[in-house]
Amino acid sequence: MPEDAASSLRTLVYAGRFADKVSSAKLPDGCEVLSEWDVLPSQLAALEHAATLVVLDLFSFPFESMTDKQRDVPLVVILPSGFDAPFLSAVFDEAVLGRLGFFDRVATADRDLWEELRLRYRWAGSQRIELYCSLPDEAAAEICGRLEEEATLISPGEDYETIRYWRWRGDALAASEPQLAIHVPHHDPASDKAVYRVQSKALGPQFVAARGARTEDVPFEALEVGVGVGRWASKFDPASTRFTGLDVSWGMIRAARADIPEGRFDLLEEDLVFPYADESFDLAFTVSVLQHNPTSAKRTLVSEMWRVTRPGGRLMFLEDFVAKKRTPGSTVYPMPINEFVDLVLEATAGRVVLEHLEALRYPHDPFFRGGLLSLSKVGTPQTW
Amino acid sequence: MPDNEFYVPDDIDLLRMENELLAFEVRFLKTRLGQPAKIPGSSTSLNRLAYLEDSERDLVLLLRRLLESPFSPVLRRSKRFRALEQKYLHSPRLQGPSSPERLAYLEEAERDLVLLLRRMSARPFGPVLRRRKAFRTLEQRYL
Repeated sequence: MPEDAASSLRTLVYAGRFADKVSSAKLPDGCEVLSEWDVLPSQLAALEHAATLVVLDLFSFPFESMTDKQRDVPLVVILPSGFDAPFLSAVFDEAVLGRLGFFDRVATADRDLWEELRLRYRWAGSQRIELYCSLPDEAAAEICGRLEEEATLISPGEDYETIRYWRWRGDALAASEPQLAIHVPHHDPASDKAVYRVQSKALGPQFVAARGARTEDVPFEALEVGVGVGRWASKFDPASTRFTGLDVSWGMIRAARADIPEGRFDLLEEDLVFPYADESFDLAFTVSVLQHNPTSAKRTLVSEMWRVTRPGGRLMFLEDFVAKKRTPGSTVYPMPINEFVDLVLEATAGRVVLEHLEALRYPHDPFFRGGLLSLSKVGTPQTW
Repeated sequence: MPDNEFYVPDDIDLLRMENELLAFEVRFLKTRLGQPAKIPGSSTSLNRLAYLEDSERDLVLLLRRLLESPFSPVLRRSKRFRALEQKYLHSPRLQGPSSPERLAYLEEAERDLVLLLRRMSARPFGPVLRRRKAFRTLEQRYL
């Protein structure tokens, strides 16, 4: 979506039964209050043009009538006070809480309630918005004010240099606004969430396939290269998987460590050599990372991923293979799929087998742009 | 892209890269589908068909060997053995690898071979026959 269109997106506040208590006048410009009459199924299409949907009245919002496109709008749900976690799970499990992903947030003043639900639904710590008030109108004003502050796009300017740019971005945004830290400059928030949904749908079965038939009590070692704030960590069950993440940005690493205490997150130095022994992981993967690196860095990263993966383990790459570097400031180093496959074969001396390939088309995009490659590492283990 | 618009890409470089990506995916899918290729209208894979063809060949060879052996007159007294001889050595073979009749015939041959080998493996002839490598191979493969 063009940036001028993105900037005109509004924050919609669904007040439901509290509509008479919440007034648009008290909210920042660009916020609009909706009542129960505004979310009748025939009127839900209007949600598709929102930047964020804040749901103040969880009990009366028609979540079950939302389409995938409407669900791509990032949600902020305010947990109703006076109810415990088992009750909220029983009522909102599949329809709401179980569907909240990395780009959605949960607002509550109750820390214990948050922790209990966070563990159950594997939410990241940064998904919480801590409320300091309990009245609906005050809560709406507090959240809208915060969203207003966050709505600043960040772009590399005229000169893009991979490591410097991502370090700066991580330091500036990862701790306070992790969703924005990994935000694509020319996307609106709904596009980010839609891309995440499509990627998640493709990656989920491949993560399961990578785990194979091993039982739950055999720990599975997964490594994400370019982990950012750890948005993919929630796809793995911490009880059976040891999740490790690498990133060039200390800011991102710190945010990931704070959000996902059960994971391990390490800094990737400028030489891009991984601080791990050979054959340490069952799975090494990247999501939208190699595309931001020049060819020499791509080669080093693929080679390192191959080195630290055990024979029989998987390497996965979910990257854009259809793109153009339009300006020096563009963060993309495009590489068509055939060139990338040649690079992988060169970096691994051909000791990989292609297990899965899938082209992905993201919503609002005219092209099949993404590609997911899953490869098995062949060879004999050097260590036992 | 809005849902009600046609796909009209205007950038030739992006279009070329997209074609490359989709062509690669098609090549991958064709390769993957090619490995467990199926006989049209049948649930039997090519690997299974090859196995059944092998079992039929082994059965024919085994029957010929038995008929050339000194035990041939004794074996021929058995009605079941004569039926096997008639069916696999003297009847015209069903041709056409993809026909359902041929498939049924091959599966029957496999069953007959297994039954014959079980009989031969039993005492008193089993221990004697097992001294021959060819018989041990058949036992290994089908029993």
